[in-house]
Amino acid sequence: MIAVVLPSLLATQAGGRKRFEVDEPTVEAALHALPVADLIFDNSGNLRPLVNVYVDGTDVREADGVHTALRDGQTVRVVAAVAGG
Amino acid sequence: MTAALLVGTRKGLFVVRDNDVEGPLLPGWEIFHAIARNGTLYAAANNWVYGATVQRSTDGGQTWERSEPIEGLAKAWHIEPEPEGALWLGGDPACLYRSEDGGVTWEPNLGILEHPTRDRWNPGAGGLTCHSIQLTPEAFYVAISAAGAFRSDDAGETWTPINKDVAADFMPDKYPEVGQCVHKLLAHPAKPGRLWQQNHCGVYRSDDRGDTWERLDGNGLPSDFGFGIALDPADPDVAYVIPEQSGEVRVTTEGQLRVFRTEDGGASWESWSDGLPAQAWTGVLREATSFDADGVYFGTQSGSVFSSRGGWRELASQLPTICSVEVTEL
Repeated sequence: MIAVVLPSLLATQAGGRKRFEVDEPTVEAALHALPVADLIFDNSGNLRPLVNVYVDGTDVREADGVHTALRDGQTVRVVAAVAGG
Repeated sequence: MTAALLVGTRKGLFVVRDNDVEGPLLPGWEIFHAIARNGTLYAAANNWVYGATVQRSTDGGQTWERSEPIEGLAKAWHIEPEPEGALWLGGDPACLYRSEDGGVTWEPNLGILEHPTRDRWNPGAGGLTCHSIQLTPEAFYVAISAAGAFRSDDAGETWTPINKDVAADFMPDKYPEVGQCVHKLLAHPAKPGRLWQQNHCGVYRSDDRGDTWERLDGNGLPSDFGFGIALDPADPDVAYVIPEQSGEVRVTTEGQLRVFRTEDGGASWESWSDGLPAQAWTGVLREATSFDADGVYFGTQSGSVFSSRGGWRELASQLPTICSVEVTEL
């Protein structure tokens, strides 16, 4: 199984649930399995530019983006960009 | 059921009653506008990371559900209900939607999306925003910054520009067909065909459904600039504006938070401000003025909410920057 961990605002939008267990082959599939996929991806299906995704601590943009393959036991963390005020 | 103000802020939604402030509901979301209808709360909600949506709650704001993804919507600005049935949503970039299922799904209005003048519309400081939607028995009206005002005589299928005699001082052609920067447009609820607008370039009234407009800001107002406008549902000659100093400065005129009232259709204006702060350098955004039969209500960018019921008084202070105020029954 893959663990997906959400930041607090997304967890609130997911009914208060911060951690999900999914069985999906890629980051994209894992995130689309969540009830907040519409907040993570824009209407064109692209990862929103201020949403960062890490697999076991590595930014997926440094790997194959949302097409990064997942294997059992890994943890996907969704993190909002640090900016603004 | 008691009167309450739905106060949208940069940091969530608040419900303000006499001596009571509840919130923030939807913390972390910018609420550009919120309404209550048939026991359901609807909020035009925006987040700088996660985008725009319409949130709805059937339990007084304790839990919320999002609309299904809304095609083409960058910012949700204004929600307007038809007297019976559907909801309308205005947003950025110059988009208009209608929902027939209580805000679950929204269909884009092609009459606005594919308007033949659209290539002449330009965004203002707040974006290319469809912020005013008025659904009257005789016609529908929308206003967009900076595209101007439009009227539909066929329930939203097609839209006719209604900007004759309305200035666009920031354009080479000062009186174009479209491109005016309307800040807020209201139709009087009891006098068919009477429209009011606070524009980037003046205050205007129309008595013929927007076919022609009369400019009104040279008659006692300290500035032609402002955002919100309020009406008296019992008297179509009464209107209220909160002037600000110019499009460049955008702060209350002469360091005073003042409401100006006309009782003669805009022929003259007088300050109606007893009870408001003597000194204030703030502003009131376009959605942050509301009215009902009992009074006028507004919220400031400095987080204060004022009501005129029984004379001006402050109902709440130290809220986040206020984007919207809507008086309702809860």
